[in-house]
Amino acid sequence: MFDNFFTFEITGELISSLIVIFIIMVLSLIVGILAARQNPLKKPKGLLLVAECGVKFFDDFSRDLVGTTLPNFGGFIMGVALYLFISFIFGLTGLPSPVTYMAIPLSLGLTTFLLIHYTSARFTKWAYFKRYIDPIPIFLPINLISMWAPLLSLTLRLFGNAIAGWALLTIVESALRDLSAMIFSFAPNGLNEVFLAPIPLAVLHAYFDIFSGLIQTFVFILLTSIFIGQEIPEDIDLNTLGRRKKA
Amino acid sequence: MTGSLNVLAAAIAILGVMPSALGEGMVCAHALDGMSRNPEMYGKLRTSMILACALVETTAIYSLLISILILFTK
Repeated sequence: MFDNFFTFEITGELISSLIVIFIIMVLSLIVGILAARQNPLKKPKGLLLVAECGVKFFDDFSRDLVGTTLPNFGGFIMGVALYLFISFIFGLTGLPSPVTYMAIPLSLGLTTFLLIHYTSARFTKWAYFKRYIDPIPIFLPINLISMWAPLLSLTLRLFGNAIAGWALLTIVESALRDLSAMIFSFAPNGLNEVFLAPIPLAVLHAYFDIFSGLIQTFVFILLTSIFIGQEIPEDIDLNTLGRRKKA
Repeated sequence: MTGSLNVLAAAIAILGVMPSALGEGMVCAHALDGMSRNPEMYGKLRTSMILACALVETTAIYSLLISILILFTK
């Protein structure tokens, strides 16, 4: 099992992932340059308007679910959401979608998982370890197993959705190919496969890549925000927290 | 080459979508109930309904994933 563990192979999905990251970087740079040149007294328009609406949406979203304790959380959420959504619709280009490679949903889930525990340890200090013996110490093995549940469910939800859509599309595509070759058998060989597939596949792509991708992106950022938000105590005082850190 | 036992295993694994479908039906039924009682909440309820459906769907996706893994891996 561990023979191939350390061999590193660059697959198509990893290259797609790099392309997605590059697209997001270029988009951010363009928006940043536009925002720096924009006269703040004038109304924004075009790409800048869309970007401002997006930033406002994600800031409101994180303020509703996480609160004002983590002021930069909206940016993190927006980055993850952009990456996930562009990854999902990247399948439309014909290149492999990054989400269908298990390591990529796993890394996103791992990010959330580490953030959950980091936030918990940051706000509750040593009382963080109390969560493993809650409510009585005999629950330790159960808690040690159930702590992996968010990671597993986040990872498998994304991966399962992407791979299910991919498998269904592949099956339908091959079936339509054969059917078309049967019906239009008078056409030259190789050309007779292409007649039936385009329209049903377009509908399926619209559902599995765009609609399902949008919903799964939203579910992912919603769950991330809820998981992290519930680790922050209600009566936290930001000023004392900062002061204690400096002293 | 998948043996016939593999196909049977995949068929048993996909049975897990049944309770998930029931759950989704319950989500939609209750959302429609709320919409008919309180029509001005239609937009908010629809959004929450789609989200809840996506969450309930997860278990079905697990079954699908397992049966796909059984069928398509050696």
